[in-house]
Amino acid sequence: MPPASPKPPIPDAFRPSASIYSGSPAAMPVALGLPVLAWQAVFFLAPLVFLVVITFWQVRSFRLEPAFVLDNWTRILWSTPFHRALGHTLQVAATTTVLALLLALPLAYTIAFRLSVRVRDLAVSLLAVPVFSSYMLRIYAWQVVLGADGIANAVLGAVGLPKLQLLGGAFSLQVGLLTLTLPVAVLILVFAMVGVDRTLIEAAENLGCRRAQVITRVLIPSIRPAIVLAGTTTFLLAFGDYVGPLFMTGSKPPTLSILLVDTVKSGSQWPRASVVGVSMLAILVLVFALGRLAGSVRIRRRAS
Amino acid sequence: MISPRFVRRLSRLLQYGLLSLFFAFVAMPMAVIVVFSFDANRFPSIPWGGFSLVWHEAAWADPMIREAFVNSIWVGLGTAVLSTAIGFAAAYIDFRHRFFGKRLFVFAVAIPPAVPTTILGMAMLAFVSRIGLSGRLETIVACHVAVASSFAMALIRLRLGEFGRDLEPAAWNLGASPWAGLRFVVLPFCRPALIAAFFLSAAVSFDEYMIAWFVGGVHETLPVRILNQLQGQVNPKINAIGAGVLAVSLVLVFLARRFTNLRPEPMHGPDLRGDSA
Repeated sequence: MPPASPKPPIPDAFRPSASIYSGSPAAMPVALGLPVLAWQAVFFLAPLVFLVVITFWQVRSFRLEPAFVLDNWTRILWSTPFHRALGHTLQVAATTTVLALLLALPLAYTIAFRLSVRVRDLAVSLLAVPVFSSYMLRIYAWQVVLGADGIANAVLGAVGLPKLQLLGGAFSLQVGLLTLTLPVAVLILVFAMVGVDRTLIEAAENLGCRRAQVITRVLIPSIRPAIVLAGTTTFLLAFGDYVGPLFMTGSKPPTLSILLVDTVKSGSQWPRASVVGVSMLAILVLVFALGRLAGSVRIRRRAS
Repeated sequence: MISPRFVRRLSRLLQYGLLSLFFAFVAMPMAVIVVFSFDANRFPSIPWGGFSLVWHEAAWADPMIREAFVNSIWVGLGTAVLSTAIGFAAAYIDFRHRFFGKRLFVFAVAIPPAVPTTILGMAMLAFVSRIGLSGRLETIVACHVAVASSFAMALIRLRLGEFGRDLEPAAWNLGASPWAGLRFVVLPFCRPALIAAFFLSAAVSFDEYMIAWFVGGVHETLPVRILNQLQGQVNPKINAIGAGVLAVSLVLVFLARRFTNLRPEPMHGPDLRGDSA
């Protein structure tokens, strides 16, 4: 099906044949689209639906059996380990989100406004590397750096300072999670900041705004959707991460991801692990909905 | 009295200082792995024990690591080919067609990377073991494709955004069938994005451990092997494997980057830089 074009319609006499336009117009999108749909349905949507289904199933003598019981939900949602893990994970992810945004805003600003186009493009390329390479290995490297006999303590010892307990607490966990999230947050904000209409900034400057005012009154409001996106993405990554908490704190205290994996491993409690997984997804959907709301409310206020 | 000039200088200094620290923070873990993979010491720490290839040799001689490496290559290749195909089909349909439920269609391809891999891996294993597909390399490929297609679609859709909407109708007018138009007009235009999508999907697959760990059963990919080794005793071979994995990842991401012109660009108006503080 040809899209509407501003050109005048072609006289029928010049059409090679009607079949070229209409010749099974639905055949191609169906032939291209069905495999895509089938693939995503079988290997993405079906597993997620099945995850919800097995929260109502039962495990009998180590075998998963279809049933409809609410026992798994009540057992998990009213259990202390789940409450502790939930509170801990929410707090950790919120901390990472705040830290990542506080760091990413000035960093993105410097990359977007202080570097030449060439250096800026290079910086963006360099930041794309950690996003797509071996987070697990980098967590392991932090273990080597921050460990009791690690590099950081060796350096501290060399200058005569006492050893520090760097690994195994909130500090190392945030180092790990920022390793995962900070490059993503910076990239999102750099793209948004460079994309801001420069005439707006110029206008503000011509009207006598100082730099701080330009940033708070023009730049930040124009990139609010990107700030929300960077924040929600950071939250999502930190909230669902498994290896960071596993290696940076030794699973003490466990996060929801660790609780989920442990529940699968111990006694193949699939239904209960699924309850944890579905609860996590529900929380993430809620966070995204709140993020969207936060973005749209501001826009409406500005428009009125 | 502090002059505005001094404040401006200080502000610049702080900005560049923070940026340098940030890049050091990003680069350090990778540098640590590479540097200590050549360390003769058994436990990575300072001082360095001298240059040695012993751990690289030991890693290469380990049959389990070799097998995991070969598995990773097959899974990565399979994922790259299929994700690029599915990503292209999805991006083209989004570009060319309008139909009821299109947003849902695009959403089903775009959203998987947003689901934490811990949950996704578990859900995939629960489901594929139900349909009798668990514990196979092909299943890891199938599951990786479900995630990696999202990136492929994004890259190809971006390229199609620069494609003239009238070029394809022009080909049809000249007598090309829709399939010929796709083959001789759209595909050649998308070539750089297809190559980038191929390498990026391979990188995503080569790096993924949770899904591969859940779904793969006894078939370990390289990241899964590393994860299992990390949970055991301290093993100096890990740095050597890590250096190899990093090298492959870096090459894949750089190749993907080379074939995309995705860069931050100003909307309009002059690009002010080096303007007042």
